[in-house]
Amino acid sequence: MNSVKKTKPLLKRRNLYQLARPIFGIIFLAIILWRLYIVFVMKQQYGSDFWIRLIISGLIIGGVYSLIAIGYTLVYGILLMINFAHGEVMMIGTFAGYFIFEAANAITVPTAANPEINIANAYPAVTILIAFIVGMFIAAATGFFLEKIAYRPLRKAPRLIPLISAIGASIFLQNAAQILFSPQTRDYDNPSLMARGTGLDLLIGGSTIKVPYTGIFTFILSILLMVGLYLLVQKTRLGKSMRAVAMDKPTASLMGIDVDRTISSTFIISGALAGAAGVMWGIHNGLVYYFVGFIPGIKAFTAAVLGGIGNIPGAMLGGMFLGLVESVGPTALDISYQLKDVIAFVILIVILIFRPSGILGEVLAEEKV
Amino acid sequence: MNNNQPIRKSLQIGVVFGIIIVFMVLIGFHIIAATLISKAFGIAVARGKIPEVRFMLYLHILFGLWMGWSASGKNINRSRSLLQGLVSGLSTGVVVALFDLLMTFLIQSGTDVRSYLPEFSFDRMEYFLLGLGQNGIFAHLAIYTFTGIAGSLFAAFIRSSAVKQFSETLKSSYEEKSELIKSKLPPFAIKIATYGFYALLLAILLILPTRWGSYWNFVIGLVGIYVIAGIGLNIIVGLSGQLMLGYAAFFAMGAYSVALVNSPHPHNLLWGFWPGIAVGIITSILAAVILGLPIMRLRGDYLAIVTLGFGEIIRILLKSDVLTSLTGGPRGIHDIRNPAFFGSPFSSDVNYVYLIFAGIAITVFLFNRLQNSRTGRAWLAIKEDTLAAQATGVNLQRYKLLALCIGAAFAGLAGGIFAARNNFTGPNDHSLMVSINTLSIIIVGGVNSIPGIILGAFALKGLPEILREIENYRLLIFGALLIVMMLVRPNGLWPSSRPLFEKSSQPPVDDSEKETRGGNHA
Repeated sequence: MNSVKKTKPLLKRRNLYQLARPIFGIIFLAIILWRLYIVFVMKQQYGSDFWIRLIISGLIIGGVYSLIAIGYTLVYGILLMINFAHGEVMMIGTFAGYFIFEAANAITVPTAANPEINIANAYPAVTILIAFIVGMFIAAATGFFLEKIAYRPLRKAPRLIPLISAIGASIFLQNAAQILFSPQTRDYDNPSLMARGTGLDLLIGGSTIKVPYTGIFTFILSILLMVGLYLLVQKTRLGKSMRAVAMDKPTASLMGIDVDRTISSTFIISGALAGAAGVMWGIHNGLVYYFVGFIPGIKAFTAAVLGGIGNIPGAMLGGMFLGLVESVGPTALDISYQLKDVIAFVILIVILIFRPSGILGEVLAEEKV
Repeated sequence: MNNNQPIRKSLQIGVVFGIIIVFMVLIGFHIIAATLISKAFGIAVARGKIPEVRFMLYLHILFGLWMGWSASGKNINRSRSLLQGLVSGLSTGVVVALFDLLMTFLIQSGTDVRSYLPEFSFDRMEYFLLGLGQNGIFAHLAIYTFTGIAGSLFAAFIRSSAVKQFSETLKSSYEEKSELIKSKLPPFAIKIATYGFYALLLAILLILPTRWGSYWNFVIGLVGIYVIAGIGLNIIVGLSGQLMLGYAAFFAMGAYSVALVNSPHPHNLLWGFWPGIAVGIITSILAAVILGLPIMRLRGDYLAIVTLGFGEIIRILLKSDVLTSLTGGPRGIHDIRNPAFFGSPFSSDVNYVYLIFAGIAITVFLFNRLQNSRTGRAWLAIKEDTLAAQATGVNLQRYKLLALCIGAAFAGLAGGIFAARNNFTGPNDHSLMVSINTLSIIIVGGVNSIPGIILGAFALKGLPEILREIENYRLLIFGALLIVMMLVRPNGLWPSSRPLFEKSSQPPVDDSEKETRGGNHA
């Protein structure tokens, strides 16, 4: 603007904006190192078994986060929109599983040995399987109709519009569940096979660590589902068309791909994964209420961003990483456990400031940001 | 194929309406709707009581007509729309009847439905069945079939050519008349009339708060605080195009500053309200600079999520025990002193309404000056095309940060007034819902349009306070309204008039004007 004088000041005014990021980074790193130094060098009050316990619980939660994060990443990769209502889709899956368990607990199937036994305890594996199938199906249906009603008509609108619509859908689903099922917190009634408090005793470093069965089950199932999804996206025709639509919608439609249909199936898949994650959340944590999906939803979005949004392995990695950090972080940094949620958000902000394309950043990410 | 398409569509619409009705009954909303209808007839219903049966019948009929109307589509062929109405009416009726059957079966078999669906009960189901018991199922089928047909026939009649012509002649004659009046009057008369209108409005605004009573003052005050916050957020979102979801953090800065400076706990400073507001605004601006500097590169959704995270961090910090000694912790800060104006302390809510009106006036004035300034044009340029703006020499970071700071300052003002008016502030006053509410107000009202923001604040914050019957369903309706607004009127209830203005007056195209053109849609 004022290019008359061509002197070179030592610190140009514009440099302030460029300096802000490094300064922020240095302060952040210094704080982290200071806290770590206090815990690991000065105090040293926890043994290795304690850390292993934290890591195991982090991995279990991380698996659930990964499944939800994949849903965000799939949708963002294709539509470039944050599906704000994804956490609520998960919540609906949790409720579906809850009602299946309630029904299975209510219906008795008398046998000769035990006349009082109910379905849940007579056929626990079948009950859990049905709970997962129903939870995934209902959550997938929610995702499908969500897209059809709230997002599809807005596909050509400016990007703020679908985001607001998604926020509206999130508020609507949350409050619908609150009014339908009352705001009370309900206990998830697992079959006795998966009862909370029972677990596998592991002997590590001279002390036993109890790993709950629900946790083992959750972790293995989430890994299986992720492998299944990866194969679906990489090997099948549907996966191929999903990748094509994510890359370039008009060209994909010229190649004979039904874009609407592909987007619908993306929402169905991400809804099903969220439903599975919801039932897992219920089985493992044992509580279900209308707000259960909100915090995991935001954290899973953080995980998706962490891994590089639009990138499926990134979402898996990000979810696991977030679960670990959240579980280990409060102890490792010696801060109050109440601030557990702050860690996730701080990681989100730091990642977005320094590496917006995430850990496994996509080439396209820069453009999409 | 082509012939069957409309029939399939009306079948779908019928099923959707049926599901909506079933959902309404499950959440107990049919009672509220019938109560509202009976209120419209001038018959008050006591809280928690079920209104007369005939209002449920009216509700059924209204729903059926609406369903028939939307099922007929843009069709003007009468026999065709008869068929469509029949199909959609029957499908709605069948869905509702199936639901009736299931529910009556569940109730008769003695299942404890209430422990799973707390809003559902036997007498509410009986009321839904019009008090006819099992015969109500057939009544539902019949009502929906006939009203579906009636609705779609009515729609076909309204859309027929005769009615269309009639309304067009009415419209054109009205336009002619208004043109005639405008051309006959001298221009200064119109000017005087507009100034007179504003003066009248001002007088009404000054007198009304003393007449209304405290309830209305409370509602208007709440709406006014959200107008201030909304205009502030509009500077960030609407003018400079940065999507922000953590606005509640700045709101909290203002509220907590006023609270800490002017309350006996936890610091017992008692400096008074006005220094508190000043501190609040300065704190908000500082927070905006600290947040804004590192995230200047981000845009769109990423910016939204980062700011959302920032807002949540502030809220969690305020709520945790870590800062209890400093900010009062989860229980918040009580006993915030009332402001004093030239020595005389605020005694009633009327004073607060005046304070809020003054705040709105300042905000609107500043917003208008900013919007039409060089800065405002720079913001619009950044919003419309960042690359082009940068190429024409707009200092991106500086203007983005400026927008963030000014918006944050307004949030601090609104938050400070909010805390002082409630004599209390706590972490739950600054949840994510505050940010979402504020954003929704500008989107629903109309981005960059002051009347739109005022209208949006009334619709989203004022109406739910007035319609106390729907209290439990407030957020549910709010969510549905957001979706419907985005589908039907994405530019808001009262869109900004700038694009229209440009079309009618055709300004000369020169270089300085170019960057502001091209409309300012969200």
